[in-house]
Order: sequence, then C-alpha cells, then structure tokens
Amino acid sequence: MTAFLTGTRGYVIRKIGWSLGTMLFVVVFNFFLFRLLPGDPIGLYSRGRNMAPEQLIKLRAELNRPIGAQFLEYLSNPFASTINSVRFNRPVWELVAERVWPTVLLVGTAILIASVAGVWLGIRSGWRRGGTFDRVTTGVTNTLYAMPEFWVGMVLLIALPFFPSGGISTPGVTGFLDTVLDTAWHMVLPVTALAIVYLAEYTSIMRASLVDELRQDYLQLARAKGLREDLVRRRHAVPNALLPTMTLIFLNLGFVIGGAITVETVYSWPGLGLLSYEALRGPDIPLLQAVFLLFSIGVVVFTLLADLLYAVLDPRVSTQ
Amino acid sequence: MHHLVRRALSVALAAGLLTAPAATALAQSPAPSQGKVTFTVGILSDVDSTNPFTGIVVEAYEAYALMYDYLVTSSPKDVSAMPSLAESYQEAPDKKSWSYKIRAGVKWSDGQPLTARDAAYTFNRIINGDFEQTNYGNYVTNIERAEATDDTTLVLHVKKPTPIMERLAVPILPEHIWKDIDGTEVKSFANEPENGQAIVGSGPFRLIERRKGQFLRFEANKEYWRGAPKIDELVFRVFLNADAEAQALTRGEIDFAYDLQSNVLESLKNKPGITTRGSAYSGFDEIAFNTGAALADGTPIGDGHPALKDKQVRLAISHAIDRDVLVNRVLGGNGSPADTFIPPVYPALHLDPANKQNFDPAKANQLLDAAGYPKGADGVREKDGKKLALRLFVRDSSEESQATGEFVKTWLKDIGIDVTIKVMSEDALTEVIGQGEYDMFEWGWVVEPDPDYQMSVFTCGKRSYKDGDSIFADLSDSFYCNPEYDKLYEEQAGETDPAKRAELAKRMQQMVYDDAAYAMTYYYDDLVAYRSDKWTGFVPQPDPDGSLLFQYGIHSYLSIEPVRATSPASAAAAAEESGGMSSALIGGIVGAVAVLAVGGVLVARRRRTADADERE
Repeated sequence: MTAFLTGTRGYVIRKIGWSLGTMLFVVVFNFFLFRLLPGDPIGLYSRGRNMAPEQLIKLRAELNRPIGAQFLEYLSNPFASTINSVRFNRPVWELVAERVWPTVLLVGTAILIASVAGVWLGIRSGWRRGGTFDRVTTGVTNTLYAMPEFWVGMVLLIALPFFPSGGISTPGVTGFLDTVLDTAWHMVLPVTALAIVYLAEYTSIMRASLVDELRQDYLQLARAKGLREDLVRRRHAVPNALLPTMTLIFLNLGFVIGGAITVETVYSWPGLGLLSYEALRGPDIPLLQAVFLLFSIGVVVFTLLADLLYAVLDPRVSTQ
Repeated sequence: MHHLVRRALSVALAAGLLTAPAATALAQSPAPSQGKVTFTVGILSDVDSTNPFTGIVVEAYEAYALMYDYLVTSSPKDVSAMPSLAESYQEAPDKKSWSYKIRAGVKWSDGQPLTARDAAYTFNRIINGDFEQTNYGNYVTNIERAEATDDTTLVLHVKKPTPIMERLAVPILPEHIWKDIDGTEVKSFANEPENGQAIVGSGPFRLIERRKGQFLRFEANKEYWRGAPKIDELVFRVFLNADAEAQALTRGEIDFAYDLQSNVLESLKNKPGITTRGSAYSGFDEIAFNTGAALADGTPIGDGHPALKDKQVRLAISHAIDRDVLVNRVLGGNGSPADTFIPPVYPALHLDPANKQNFDPAKANQLLDAAGYPKGADGVREKDGKKLALRLFVRDSSEESQATGEFVKTWLKDIGIDVTIKVMSEDALTEVIGQGEYDMFEWGWVVEPDPDYQMSVFTCGKRSYKDGDSIFADLSDSFYCNPEYDKLYEEQAGETDPAKRAELAKRMQQMVYDDAAYAMTYYYDDLVAYRSDKWTGFVPQPDPDGSLLFQYGIHSYLSIEPVRATSPASAAAAAEESGGMSSALIGGIVGAVAVLAVGGVLVARRRRTADADERE
C-alpha cells in the first residue's frame, strides 16, 4: 500500500485524489451556502413581473420540497437550478455556457502574451542584475503592478481613441475573415490592459527566482566547462528558475474561467466576469450559484494540472 | 552598437506584442453598413430577452415597442392614452366590452397582412396562457375573451368596467409565427434572428441581429404606417460601465448615451457637439414609514417603533426634511422636490397639494411636543420611557439612498429623534419590509402611465400575507391601510371616464399625502447625453421636459434625423466613416511597425543562437 503511494505514480494519485475531494466539498458546500442565504428567491424573481399568484404558489412548492430530494436533484446536475436566472429568465447553464468562450479568448491571450514576454524580460533583467535594463524593467513593471486593472483599462481607453471602446464585435460585420479581424481589433485594449498586469507579476517572479540561482555552484561548473554565458543561462539556470513562474501562470489559468471581472466590466466584454458582475448586481442567486461552482472547479482543475506539471519539470517534487 | 540595437529592439518587442493584433486589423477596420444612416444608442443594461413574454428590463420593453405594434400608446404631449394600431376604440354602452378598430392595410414584415385576428390571438393566448401571464397578466385579469368580428374589428369582453382598456401595453404578435410555439416552448423561446432573417413584426423597426451582452441591430421598416423612420438602422450597444459609454459618445462611436449617472453627465457638459439633458421622469424616491405592520387580514406583525403609528410623528419627520437640499446635494440638481405619489410628468393625474409639507423644523418640534414626546436630558424625545430612536434602512446599490439617509439623520437629530442608519442590499431590504421589521427606509417607485398599480400599493389588501408558516411581502411597503382610500381605489378601478378617474386619483394622493405614509423626497430626472451636432428631431415626452428615448411609445425613433447644416446626410455620414478609417490607419501602422520589430528581433536571435550553438 505504501509502496503503491510512493514515487511518481503515488504522487499523481495523491494529487488527483485531493482534487476530487476538494471538488466534492465545493459541490456540496455550494448547495448549502446558497440555501443558507437569507431572502425570498421567489419574491426576487417575481419582482417587476406581472405574475399571477397561482404561478408563485407553484414555484414556492418547488422550493419547499424536502432538502434531501433537492440535494439529490442538484447532484444529478449541479449547474441546473430550479429557478431560472432572475435577470435573464433563462436556465443558468445556458447563460454560463455562452459566456465561457469570450473569457477564455481574452484571458488566455493575455496570459500567453504576458507569460512569454514576462519570462523573457525576467530572464534578461535577472541575469544582469543591477544593469540598466534590469533597473528600467524593474521600475516599469513595479509601476505597472501597482496600478489597478480598471484604472489601466480606463487610461488605455482614453489614450488610444482609435480602438473600440468596448464589446467584442461590430454590429453588421459578417463573414469568417472579417469576424476574426474584427474580434482581434476589439481585443487589443482589453488584452493589453490584462497583459500589463500579468506581465509585471511574471517578470518580477521570474527575475527573483533567477537571481536565486545566480550564485549556485552548478553555474560555476558549467562556466568552468567552457560554456558560453548564454548557454549557461538557457540550459542550466532558467529551467531551474522556471518553477515559481509556472506556479503563478497556472494559478492565473485557474482564474481564466473566473475571468477578469474588472477588465471585462471596463470594456463591456461579454464574458464570465461580466456575467458574475451582473449576477452580483441583482443579486441573481441561481446564476451566482452556477458561476461560483464553475470558478471553484476551474481553480481546482488548474491547480491539479500545475501539480502534475511540476513532476515533469522537476522530478525531485514527486520523489520527496 | 550591436547592444544598442538589441536594446532598442527589445523595447519594441514588448510594445509589439501588445499591439500586434492592430496590424491584422489594418486591412479591415470595422466599417459596418456602408452608406446607411445608423443611429446608435448606448445602454448600460443588456436586453434580458427579445421574447416579449420573458424580458423585464426597460431596455427589453423598448425593443418590443420597436418590433411590434400596440393597440394604444401614450401621447408625446402629456402621456395621455392615444390610439395606435387601433385607430379608434370605444366602450360598449352596456360596459361589457370594448371594440377596437384595427388599422387596415398594415403588413407583417414577411408580407402577411396584420388583422384583428392577430390581435385576438395575442390576447387569448395571454388570457388562456400560463407562462404568457408572467409579463401581461395584470392587463387581462378583467378580460374574459378576445374576439375578431372581422379583419379590422377586435372586441374584448370584460368582466367588469375597467379603465385599463385604454392602456393595454401588450405587443400584438403574428399568429402565423407564434401558433407554432406552444406553452412549454415559449418559456425558452429566444425570438432572435437566425441566418440574418429578421424577426417577424409590424413595428417601425425589425430586429436583424442580436449578440448577447453586446448589441441589438434593427433595420427600419420603411413601410411603417406612421411613416418611414428617417434612419436606416438602429443599434443598441451594451456598456457595463458609464465612463466607457461616455467615452464612446465623445468619440462618436455612439450617438446617444442612456442611463447616465450625474457625475458622468457632469463630465460630458460643455464637450463640443454633445448635449446633456436631465429629463423629467416618472420615478420618485421616498422615506417610507412602518405605519403599523400587519397582514392583509389585520394581524399585527413585525417590530416597528409604535411612535410611527402616530400620523403626527410622521408629519413632523416630513416637515424636518429639506427637499431642496436633497435635490441639489444628492441629485446634483437633476430632479425636483416631491410631494405626491404620481409624478408631475403625468400632468392630468398629478396632484399639486395646497398644504405642502415644507421644511419647517419649528413646526416639526411643535408637532412632536403636541404628540406627547418631550425632549429628554440627552436631547432625544421619549414617551412612557421609550426613546424616540428609529432605524433607517438605506440601499447599498444606491449612493443617493445612502446620502439621503445621512441628511435625514442630521435633520431628525435636530428635532430630537435619534436615527440609526443601516445599509443593506435591496434583496435583504425587501425581506425585512415584508416582515414589517423596520421603522423607516429609503427607496422609490417608477410610476406607469396607468396609475392603478401604484395606487394599489397603499391598499389594505396589498399588505403582507401568510403562506403556511412563512410571511411573504406583497406590494405594500408602508402598511398603510385606510378603508376610505380602499373605497376610492375600488371606485377608480371601474371608472372608465378619464376625467372622473383623474379626480379620484387626486383625492387618493391627497389622502396618502395628508396621512404621510411616505415622506416623499424627490422626483429624479432621467440623465442622457447625445450628439446634437449630428442628430435632431427628438420628441420629448411629455413636452417639453420629458424623456427623449425610452418613453411610453416610440415617437422619437420615427423623427430622429441627421442634422442637415451645409451638407446632406450622406456626406456627413461619409465624413464620419473616413474619420474612423484614418484613425484605424494610424493604429494599423503602429501595429505593423511593432510586428516588424518583433520579426526582426526573432530573426536576429535565431541567427545568433544557431551560430553559437554550432560553435560550441
């Protein structure tokens, strides 16, 4: 048994087990959390609608069923909900599904750009610590890091008036190529705003972990072997320094699903972040419940992926 | 030199990565609907559904009004009832039915004729429907059945006489489309265009494209019976942020910004080409009192302070409120002091009371003294050992609500009433109101052209009700109950003579005002800004201070047109188009340079690395 749980295989099984456990907890907690909230969900739903009293009674009966029966039904599809989204009067799952892709597109692109650029900038400045490039990069990224996302978004919006002020597409644009170009055009500002924030994080983490490696003996050995400085960095220092940055990237990927609420709000980007903002404004409890669940699962899944990737990047992790 | 070049390139790389997509957009900057005159409205809340049985936000009702015809509408002059698809209507002498003369020759957008049969179908569907009642149930509770006696005559048989028949805000739907959508399917029916096919309607505009969370695009119905709209396309664009909406207006991306806040409106003032406007609106805010919470059957509930059951105490509080200060400081001047519960945008119904509850602390003190609440040692009044200490609930979603609360707290302290403010969500507030567990709260109502709903709020029957062991809120939020008022309410509900009904409505307003169920605070304005350099022809409702768009009816949309100063409309539109192109061009060039820089860096690196790797 213990042998079964050691080594790489054991590591993988342990991590998957933990993730499943966490997810189960999230699913159960999500059910009870939203039933503990005070308020009258039916009253909230019927506000502003000229509903007949018989309809209200029918809906109430649905919610007054034994909690166990409700829980079983919830388990069969945790995203479904007895009541439609209050704001949109549609099944919540449908709403969530159509908002996933814009968010994945936005946050995915931003993380991709920021991680490539951030890692590169971090390596450059960390390797020549204290140099002009380092001082400029550190100064700039720290400044960017200190700026709130919505503020960066508003500044870009005002400073770059030739880009659209919001949305993901222009009314009336059809055809595949035109749609792709139009979407890319709309993505410029929100992706930039988001990438700036991530960029600063990745750069500073990458720089810091590379600096940690600088004085290590194995680098001296590599140099002694006669390797050129570039190769010492690329083959030896960087792979070892990459681990913390990977953690951060994957943690952020987990939040891809959660979207970037502030950036999506500034640019009226029709993604999940915006959806959760709208759900909170209501508050639209059935919608919030589904959105919360999706966010939590996103984080759990990507944390698991990060853990598994560690084992690949650094075999020491799985043997300890 | 080598290092300098690389350093410069590395900076370009960072910039290039961020602007690269711009380059791809160079060839295809978005230039929709060439040659068409498009009017774009910015909205802050997406249309929740384009199915008229489903959506409930103001923006959705606006879309229905554009897509469909209604039997009657509200006049732009004074919001009074006005014939629309029904060119005339009358109540039968026996008061058992109403007949509507449907305009002949009106066509659905697919070419089918619109007849009284479509109207009868729509009403019967709601009367006999389940889900269909959700949005329109209140209009048909008194209608027994609808009948088309011929192609141009609709007869609605009523259970008892009711004035609502002049105000039936029900969109008339095409039977040949909707008969295929049954009572179950209608619940999830989106009513959205597919493959560029417009939704079949008869209104002045047709919905041709919808992207959720982004925009709705309508095309003008040039054969509309009230005359062709002067614009070709109408777009509602969704913003979730008023600052971005204002920015889009400044740049000319949108022509009209709806639903602004006063600080954003302020930032748009004096910008060239932009006109800001606070239009008189049908909403009011109030401090509502717990006048003695009880169920509809009279069983007391809740924990309201007993002092507020005394009308004199409520009047004293009303006299302690300086409404001019609230209008100026809380609304930034965009509103007016309020008195009765039907706002002055309905001149025929609004009562301007002779005995105004003006700001008068001396009178307030006097009323409280007379009511038997002497001031204690700490300056707080008390009676029978119980302090006059009241809770005031304000809403977290409204800065105005919280600001009003702070002002009221200060004013009431001056007359010896101790106020504790609690900020809560509207959801939580609805709950405590329904249970009667409050003393005072700040909220408001928006009053429809037909005042029945608003007037029903103050009837005894709309107090909370019990279902099983739980108490649920109904409409009443002051628990005002006055049999005399209820009698007047019943009377007006059957009064089909508009003048007589208005008289009753005024007596009811006077009654609620004198009994101070609410201390009314202000009527607020509807804040908008628009490109007056490009557009003209707006029709305010009511004339001249009312709303320009999002009215009861679609009057403005029919007459909005481009400004024709020196050049014809097409030239103006063309100029705008080229302006957009040139700025797109700049963006494109920046992007292209950046991409070249990235390419250069990558090539340089690749070459160097390859060389180096070979060497070692």
